[in-house]
Amino acid sequence: MKLPRGRLRRSRVVTDPRDVLADVLDRGLTGYAVFESQETLLLDAEGRGVVTFADGVPVLAYHTGTDRGGPPALADLAVPGPYHVSLYALDAADLEPAHRADDLRVPPGMPAERLAGDPALADSTRRAAPSDRRDAVESGRSSGDAGDTRSAVEAFLDDTEKIEAIKDQARAEARERAAEWEF
Amino acid sequence: MVEVFAVASGKGGTGKTTSTVALGMALSERYDVTVVDADTGMANLLFHAGLSDAETTLHDVLADDAPVEAATYDRFGMTVVPCGTSLDGFRDADPDRLREVVASLATGTDVILLDSPPALDSRTAVLPVVLADRIVVVLQPTIPAISDGLKVQEYATTYDTGVAGLLFNKVRESESIDRVAEKTERYFDGPTLAAVPESERAREARRAGRPLLAHAPDCGAAAAYRRAADALTVREGSPGDAADRFRSAVVPEPL
Repeated sequence: MKLPRGRLRRSRVVTDPRDVLADVLDRGLTGYAVFESQETLLLDAEGRGVVTFADGVPVLAYHTGTDRGGPPALADLAVPGPYHVSLYALDAADLEPAHRADDLRVPPGMPAERLAGDPALADSTRRAAPSDRRDAVESGRSSGDAGDTRSAVEAFLDDTEKIEAIKDQARAEARERAAEWEF
Repeated sequence: MVEVFAVASGKGGTGKTTSTVALGMALSERYDVTVVDADTGMANLLFHAGLSDAETTLHDVLADDAPVEAATYDRFGMTVVPCGTSLDGFRDADPDRLREVVASLATGTDVILLDSPPALDSRTAVLPVVLADRIVVVLQPTIPAISDGLKVQEYATTYDTGVAGLLFNKVRESESIDRVAEKTERYFDGPTLAAVPESERAREARRAGRPLLAHAPDCGAAAAYRRAADALTVREGSPGDAADRFRSAVVPEPL
């Protein structure tokens, strides 16, 4: 996915991607966010995830490490934080060529569900989506969209290596901090 | 006998406090239950238990301004130790005194539930997990909640705290929870205690300042919490030992 460089609006480390998605929705940002996991020991942590937005609503997702787009890119991004996140504003006209790539598209509420685990934020994002995108997703909620959500969680749970890496990382962190916290 | 459970989730918004109070009420059918708001920085147990006007709270006890008995309230068949919400109270509280509070409560009850902070980023946040005998992990069936729940488990087991089970909460019908629960269990040291459906009744109960099991005892979510409580086997232990155990709780030496 090629995007023109946008105007940097914000760059910070967040522990929960929910904050970024909620912030973008509140501001109605048109542009993109670049997520970079700080968890260098984790598998799939190589590379960056990019999510584009139109008026605060997610449109595309792409992961540079796995070269996957759309819903699978969100699964690649779904590792525990913290993340370094940079938000860029871009004119809708500059995003338009990229937004033609149908295979990279994600339903509006899906990033909030999969990255943030927040069904309520997903609902408000769907409400903010233009009617053509909202209708497409709403009609699919009982079958298609819900089915995707299920398979994403299940696909995550089937990735034993990734989960063992998360556990190993947490144990190492817990041991290190026990000393620091003088338990 | 007493067993201390930390009700924990790595992430906020999973309904941990609602779950702590609901499990407490359900367990109080069989046991003498004490529920403690150990989330001292973001207390909200008091709002769930009709104690928003409580004068003395855990903050006062942790600041050494009051004995623990002054901060215990009998509500809905349980003993409740709420925490205050003021920043001053939080600043003056010494989290390490929580050991002493738990040790002192342990002598007069069967089950202690610690409503724990939804984070692992500070000593204060992790202390309830260290003090507990076992954790109950509250999860939503989403990737971030499950990853964070895994982290909580690994912290707990590293600190020699066991896993009593998983409680799936805010489950939507579309989420095929049976399959998700089965796959999730492979990575956790405890079984799924129950899957609690997302419930408008739970939101109403919170607004009314009452526990879900008092507000809507017949709803599906309340029934699920009762199943979770039934699935939880409380282990025997003598009160004397318990008090000593919590006073001296330390993390085992790293391997």
